[in-house]
Amino acid sequence: MKTFDHYDARSIDEALGLLGKHRGKARLNAGGTDLLGLLKDRVLPQYPELIVNIKTIPGLDYIEEDGERLRIGALARLCDLAGSRLLQERYGVICEAALAVAGPQIRNVATIGGNLCQDVRCWYYRYPAHLGGGMLCARKGRGPCFAVKGDNRYHAVIGAGKCFAVCPSDLAVALAALDGHMTLVSHRGERRVGVGDFFSPLRNVLEADEFVKEIDVPKASVPRLQRFLKFTLRKPIDFAVVSVAAVTEVKDGIYSDARIVIGGVAPGPFRAGKAEEELIGCEPGDAVAAQAAEAALEGARPLSKNAWKIEVARALIKRTVYR
Amino acid sequence: MTGEIFASNVESAAGDKQMSLMVNAHSYLLTVGNRPGEVDPAHTLAFTLRETLGLTGTKVSCDKGACGGCTVLMDGKAVLSCMLLTIECGGKEITTIEGLMEPKTGALDPLQQSFIDHSAFQCGFCTPGMIMSAKALLAENPSPSEEEIKEALSGNFCRCISQYQVVEAVKAVSGKKR
Repeated sequence: MKTFDHYDARSIDEALGLLGKHRGKARLNAGGTDLLGLLKDRVLPQYPELIVNIKTIPGLDYIEEDGERLRIGALARLCDLAGSRLLQERYGVICEAALAVAGPQIRNVATIGGNLCQDVRCWYYRYPAHLGGGMLCARKGRGPCFAVKGDNRYHAVIGAGKCFAVCPSDLAVALAALDGHMTLVSHRGERRVGVGDFFSPLRNVLEADEFVKEIDVPKASVPRLQRFLKFTLRKPIDFAVVSVAAVTEVKDGIYSDARIVIGGVAPGPFRAGKAEEELIGCEPGDAVAAQAAEAALEGARPLSKNAWKIEVARALIKRTVYR
Repeated sequence: MTGEIFASNVESAAGDKQMSLMVNAHSYLLTVGNRPGEVDPAHTLAFTLRETLGLTGTKVSCDKGACGGCTVLMDGKAVLSCMLLTIECGGKEITTIEGLMEPKTGALDPLQQSFIDHSAFQCGFCTPGMIMSAKALLAENPSPSEEEIKEALSGNFCRCISQYQVVEAVKAVSGKKR
């Protein structure tokens, strides 16, 4: 890796000060499992001059409930999420998603904030600079999206434009199904963004001088039936080709609440409102699950080689909704 | 996520920034910089272990966090040394494959012996990583089920198909103390 300056931040304020001072040329490092890959392959259009270690900021790894919300500090590790009794009891879909990420060694260091902020896995975007030069593309601010004319078998089928890379985060899918929000702080103040709204086709909405501090989920009306399933090519450790989080509530024999979120098909976690409409008010069963699966990606516009992902999504929805 | 790391990254009298790295219960005082023998901020733990400290038991295969070949223990947990910055490992306890040996007698760890007894390797390149992952599992869960063994080793790849013997080797020492 090309060298950089390094600083152990002791507080969020200190980290924000450094981000402001270096104006886009400093990067925060938590678990590092995504950032180090980007640096080794020189993927980023601008190589950082400073890496700010935020693991040294104390007290940002909590997982707790207060009166209204489940609150998770951005530095909580994926192994902490998977092993948390509180999450296992009431927010099982978060545990399932955390366990689905990579292998144990990565879950032991990777954080929830980093999982949400990680960069896309598009093979054109990630093309290593040391193999004949990197590929400048729309996502890097100059050039086309190579996936449109190229090999797009893993790219987006819905909601993309300019860049067809998909959101690689499994936790984003689970959190979006629970109506999760992220708290972003900067010297300008704090703002809360829904996990679903954090992502957009060319980049996430995090500004260069912002810091993800906390992830929260409203406690009221958390549905009891929660499930996360992920389809990968290499079963034990891989990014999702497609993933689905289904969070439902059945009252008096009919669905009273249903949230279906699909990962790996769009620039962010895709909330399948049409599938939810099919379920609500119906009796759980094979047939209604199949209808929901059919409706989920209505309006999708696959590229030349990725229509198969829609079939995968349908199969996963059937399995997550009806067990 | 403690304050220890600050105490371990200190400035020497000459103004050089220094860090102490604890590997296999041995404390190394390293200077941060880019001259030979120093730790550059961009050095990975795998690089420092192999190239700076000469502990070549840890293998680097993909160098991208995908294969598990460089697995070491950090405070008892299995981690990928190719995806960690050395400069962020101050104050942590690192254990590599070299650290499993009984220091006085030179005897192998029972887990290492079990890998030999079960021929749980072919080319052997993935073996140090496999053993470190298994070691972390057994420390946390001394009697794992076959499923738990497979899950704990899911981040370690072997291209010669030694996995069946690896599972047998780990099973053979589960339930026993070191």
